[in-house]
Amino acid sequence: MSMRVQKALATLLGIVVVGILAGIYVTSLTGGPTPYRVPVAAAAGGRSVNLTIQTVAAVGPKLAPNANWVSYLVREHGIWHRSTVWTLPANSLIHVTVYQFDGKSGLRNPFLAQARGLVGDAFTLNGKSLSTINPDDASHTFAIPQLGVLVPLAGVADDAENQCDVAPCPLSTAHNTITFTFRTGKKGHYRWQCFVPCAAGFYYGFGGPMQTIGYMDGFVNVV
Amino acid sequence: MNFRRLLGYNLLTAFVLGIVGFYVGWWLGHQFSGPSIAYFADTGQNDIALFLAYLVGLIGFLSGLGFASYPIQRLLGKPPSLREKETAGTGRYFTLCTDHKVVGMQYLIGIGAFIFVGGLNAMLIRFELLSPTKQTFNANNYLTIVGLHGTMMMGMMTSGILGPFANYFLPIMIGARRMAFPRIEALTFWLLMVAGVILMTTVGYGGFPTGWTGYAPLNDQANMGMDSYIVFFALVGLSMSLLGLNMIATVVTMRAPGMAWGRLPIFVWSVIATSVLMLLAAPVLISTLLMVALDRTAQTGFFNAQAGGSPYLYQNLFWIFGHPEVYILALPGMGILLEILPVFARKPLWGYRLAVTGMLGISLLSWLVWQHHLFVSGINADLRPFYMLSTELISLPTGFIFICALGTLWQGRIRFTVPMLFALAWLFNFLIGGLSGVFLSDVPSDVTTHGSFFSMAHFHYTIMGGLLFSFFAAIYFWVPKMTGYAINERFGKIHFWTMFIAFNSTFGPLLVIGFLGMPRRAVTYAGYLHGGNTWVSISAFFLGGSMLVFVGNFVWSQVFARVPVGANPWASKSIEWQLPSPVPVHNFDRIPTFGADPYPYGDGDGAGDSTAPRVVTAPARPRP
Repeated sequence: MSMRVQKALATLLGIVVVGILAGIYVTSLTGGPTPYRVPVAAAAGGRSVNLTIQTVAAVGPKLAPNANWVSYLVREHGIWHRSTVWTLPANSLIHVTVYQFDGKSGLRNPFLAQARGLVGDAFTLNGKSLSTINPDDASHTFAIPQLGVLVPLAGVADDAENQCDVAPCPLSTAHNTITFTFRTGKKGHYRWQCFVPCAAGFYYGFGGPMQTIGYMDGFVNVV
Repeated sequence: MNFRRLLGYNLLTAFVLGIVGFYVGWWLGHQFSGPSIAYFADTGQNDIALFLAYLVGLIGFLSGLGFASYPIQRLLGKPPSLREKETAGTGRYFTLCTDHKVVGMQYLIGIGAFIFVGGLNAMLIRFELLSPTKQTFNANNYLTIVGLHGTMMMGMMTSGILGPFANYFLPIMIGARRMAFPRIEALTFWLLMVAGVILMTTVGYGGFPTGWTGYAPLNDQANMGMDSYIVFFALVGLSMSLLGLNMIATVVTMRAPGMAWGRLPIFVWSVIATSVLMLLAAPVLISTLLMVALDRTAQTGFFNAQAGGSPYLYQNLFWIFGHPEVYILALPGMGILLEILPVFARKPLWGYRLAVTGMLGISLLSWLVWQHHLFVSGINADLRPFYMLSTELISLPTGFIFICALGTLWQGRIRFTVPMLFALAWLFNFLIGGLSGVFLSDVPSDVTTHGSFFSMAHFHYTIMGGLLFSFFAAIYFWVPKMTGYAINERFGKIHFWTMFIAFNSTFGPLLVIGFLGMPRRAVTYAGYLHGGNTWVSISAFFLGGSMLVFVGNFVWSQVFARVPVGANPWASKSIEWQLPSPVPVHNFDRIPTFGADPYPYGDGDGAGDSTAPRVVTAPARPRP
């Protein structure tokens, strides 16, 4: 084999290797644990969907690389997934059920204890209709600022029995059930998040899961 | 097969020991326990383990290359080797080599590879911004891409010109056979390569959300990917300070007879001005990052307001390093410019002393301006006028460089070669960068443009328009001397024109988009900015394409075509061009004696005038 052919092959090999490495790199950034999901299909002929989510104190090793991080989970076809990027229909009513398994950490800003942007301006906590809670009882919030939605989520009492150890948490363990309804507007890509600094162990609670898609915030893709 | 060669000090050994060291450090980190480390149990991330893994891995890698051999031999009282791999052959490029020319080539290829990674990230950023809302990368990954692009470019390009070209040519230009500290010279290169790989690993640890500045409190709160950023920049800082120290020591102690300070080539002066900044600024960066690392591991509170620390302190410390860093990037480009212009204008450098004054003035003033980065960060209002004026004052010594460049061009017999085109483009780009910088140094206009794409476009005009264009000027000018083979002129010009047009088509509109309100580091943006961003993205893709033209031309010219250039294709009077191409291992048969000023052009008839060097030879000194 002539020297020229050897050089050509070496150059070709170099291009292929660089291309593969670049491809792996880009793919690793485009992929991730938070695929877009439709939590449930819209009811036939209707313009409303049910969205069922739960909040857990530690997501556990089965669902995430950061097993001890606080997280939201979403239920799709009866199975809990760790995904915080959801697809919802535009101009529709979204009936949300939150199973809240995490403990109380309190609000730093009492302003967040007041529900906003909901149909009927109220939510239910274990069947009881409310528009606000004691700020000290809050564990998380569910908020979509661009849609004006804010709901305080009351935490499980510290002395509650049968608390959940590993996510996804079964309903047989201690939890609060919160339901509310909000309306999606026009099509768009809206960020939602928890506004309680609930990342225990991080300074001010703002680190790790609070700033990582797939744990305490995500996107609502309204289509 | 000769297994002894496989088991010796080489890149394979270094990789093996590096990986083993990484896991040893990781294991050690997980042996820490106790109440003060309960933090890690809460968060599920062990920063101590990752820091130790990087550190022990680095030690393993460097040991595998042979860096531990010399001190160990000295400890044991054995005569150590004073030279490593100072021979011919390809293998010397893949290990510890104390030949400054080999280190220069290593830098050129190594830094080039990481610039490719940084450029790839730039393409991903522009791809993402093709749409105001639809996301290819999620918000966290976008921030990581932006951070990787900025950090990689700012970190690697600090040595972008000093690494390849000062290491290669500075000893030759002053008539020396080597650098003052050849092992340290090699160490600076390998530290930089390890640092680059460490930064890339951030993707596996969740990335980092801070951009290249690493501001507190985000740097406390971030994932383990932040540790990669910290170790990367600390190693870059270490490499920078050692590189600067080595350059200064070499110029001070190793100049050949007759090489008075007033006869130093202007490029050497730019290296001195840069090296002083490197030596003094980089330790501030290293110390600051050590403090951040302690905040993240030992639970100190230097930058944690809740523990009595100050995030604002971080900003100050970072920019005490960060603004000199800007001139660490800019000054070598000025040296390249003023080194190239006399060759292709066939005139002596106009205003040699003024140019030196300008470079040293920039070097001095760059220490007095850092707070202009903090105009909107809560700086005492009474301090603003001082930093505004000191920032604007720096345009004076910068103006000296422009005056010297224009004076050199004036009535010159200009040859529009590829290096000359890149040098002339430097003048245009840096002028735009400087003029847009005035808006950021003025408090009222900075308040409205801070954190916008205007700011981003400004520093791309100065750093990419300045440093990268001069980097390419240096490549087209000096690589033929380094390899002995020409770079194809036609494709070089295609590269230049596509790069120059696409560069301005990218960053010119970004100045406008920034004024219209486009924020930095935001994955989504307002719909009315869509058209402008699309234009910029397409231009950026052409800019990326121009780089491929360069890579193709470089590989074709140096690997396949291999047209010999001879000793002095540019008819330069600099000493390096009086030596064979490539320069032999020992540089000079005899140590030269210098007897004239550095740029004796204009004594002949233009391009064909005398190329006699300003050098007379003298009997060689005994080699050390």
